[in-house]
Amino acid sequence: MKSLETKRSMLMIQLGGIYGLWLREVRRSFRDRGQLIGGISRPILWVVILGIGLNPYFRGEVFGKVNFVVPFTYLQFIFPAVIALNILFTSVQSAVSVIWDREFGFLREVLVSPLSRGTILLGKVLGGATVAVMHGCLVLLLAKFADVNLTWMKVLEALGLMSMLAFALTSLGVVIANHIRSFQGFGIFSNAVILPLYFTSSSIFPLDPALSQAQTRVVYPEWLVTVVECNPLTYAIDALRGALIGYNQFDPYLGILIMGSSGVVLFGLALFEFRRA
Amino acid sequence: MSNILNSSVAIRLEKVSKRYGRTVALDEVSFEVGEQQMFALLGPNGAGKTTLMHILSTLLRPDAGKAFVAGIDVMKKPLQARQRLGIVFQEPSLDDRLSVHENLDLHGLIFGVPRTLRRQRIEELLALVELTDWTDKIVRTLSSGMKRRLEIARAFIHDSEILLLDEPTVGLDAQTRDRIWHYIHRLQTERKITVMVTTHYIEEVEKCDQVCIIDNGKVLADGAPKVLKKEFGQQLLRIVPKTDEDQIKIVTRYAERLSRIDGTEIILTSDDSFSESFLAENGARIRALSIEVPSLESVFLTLTGRDIRDKEINLREQTKAFGKIGGEHTK
Repeated sequence: MKSLETKRSMLMIQLGGIYGLWLREVRRSFRDRGQLIGGISRPILWVVILGIGLNPYFRGEVFGKVNFVVPFTYLQFIFPAVIALNILFTSVQSAVSVIWDREFGFLREVLVSPLSRGTILLGKVLGGATVAVMHGCLVLLLAKFADVNLTWMKVLEALGLMSMLAFALTSLGVVIANHIRSFQGFGIFSNAVILPLYFTSSSIFPLDPALSQAQTRVVYPEWLVTVVECNPLTYAIDALRGALIGYNQFDPYLGILIMGSSGVVLFGLALFEFRRA
Repeated sequence: MSNILNSSVAIRLEKVSKRYGRTVALDEVSFEVGEQQMFALLGPNGAGKTTLMHILSTLLRPDAGKAFVAGIDVMKKPLQARQRLGIVFQEPSLDDRLSVHENLDLHGLIFGVPRTLRRQRIEELLALVELTDWTDKIVRTLSSGMKRRLEIARAFIHDSEILLLDEPTVGLDAQTRDRIWHYIHRLQTERKITVMVTTHYIEEVEKCDQVCIIDNGKVLADGAPKVLKKEFGQQLLRIVPKTDEDQIKIVTRYAERLSRIDGTEIILTSDDSFSESFLAENGARIRALSIEVPSLESVFLTLTGRDIRDKEINLREQTKAFGKIGGEHTK
């Protein structure tokens, strides 16, 4: 009986710990002006400048026929991808707090608490993911400008997908942070991960759905097609597009499956390294 | 062997050893700290004090030996052991982007303190360390002394029975150091807890119930300050001779009692009868004379053959200082 009570009390401590660490990450994010400015300026830059600038060119001559590659404007097409970009940047950068905490001693304070390593990591990842989803939501405010009609159902569906994506990417950030000892190193390394991951995810250009597999490999360099198809972010952005503008190049469930499994695998990897560190 | 020990012993170490590579940080360290005692671990930088603290706080695993806090084996039941401990690290461990209140509240949350109790304790403790007016201030705006006081208060948000303080006053001015010690003594008396403190400031351990002198990872002596002074302390005679010739004569005559020469001052080991006979014999040769009663400084000198502040940092200390960072060696 006593053991059951002890286990229950330990479970309550773990849950309280997750909440405490989650709250800390969220509070810190509101006080981090740099991150907030980035979260606002990034979508404006991508949607207003890149989106408007490339909007007229979002069509192509393929096999002698001029057509729009996908039945949407470029602004509509990149809108879900800009949400993913904001989540990508914020998630990975949220994980920099692991380095911060290690450098400035806070990690020790948490490590001598009754929280397990799993709880500590879950609290941090959930906190980082929440901040990333909030930054993703900032992009949703530009929906009208991008001619994307939102309904509550669409928003709810997108929020679910954004949360899964944010969880997986924050875990990826922690994996990176576990290998990096300085802030500068993290900045360089995370950019080396973020930008290639984003540019090879069909975020800013689609693989033409009108083309067959063989034609695609003729039109685009084969290596690029392979990289795009192997990039998990491709399927996450595709699922988000499906939810927000009703356009999918792949099976929408594939996106959910890949995001879910990436989240589990990356969190597991982050936990393995966090326990070892 | 059982994981639970006699409850009257708050901390117990049994032949604890720890190495960093080829450097021995702790070499079969054993001692006991009784409940509600103020226990000081005294040693120079690199003696192994912080390593010992990290082992007790479950941040490090020893290579050999056992450590118990409140009767709990820290290696076998670390989560339970941590619930009994309040820890103040040598390096600050506050979140400087959160406010004073938020830091304390977060600590309460991660230690499972219910909301009502948390609020009540935060209020009480902030009043105790005189930080009530700073409740909503962001921690990075506080002075070093205030941060230290906040860290001490934080260690009491949960039901800690044992407070581990790793060099709590290092880097602080004398006035702030006094104030910190005032809070530590007050908390110990009011909450009836056991305090284990590491320090290399000898004057800070005089008021402790028990002192353990540690150097190069080994325990050299352990006991009440009075007992240590009686057992290992030396009465010293500080003499300033009138001339250089007098200095030579005294040094030659009392070579076997010579402790050291400090500029023009000769320091001889002494006792009551020697002081009298020395004065009678050499009164005309000396300009000034003072008798230094046995102190912990002299105890340290006797045990290690050097002054606690004399030690230069060498490669061994540098390796251990690396260990002090904590995160890198944390298991």
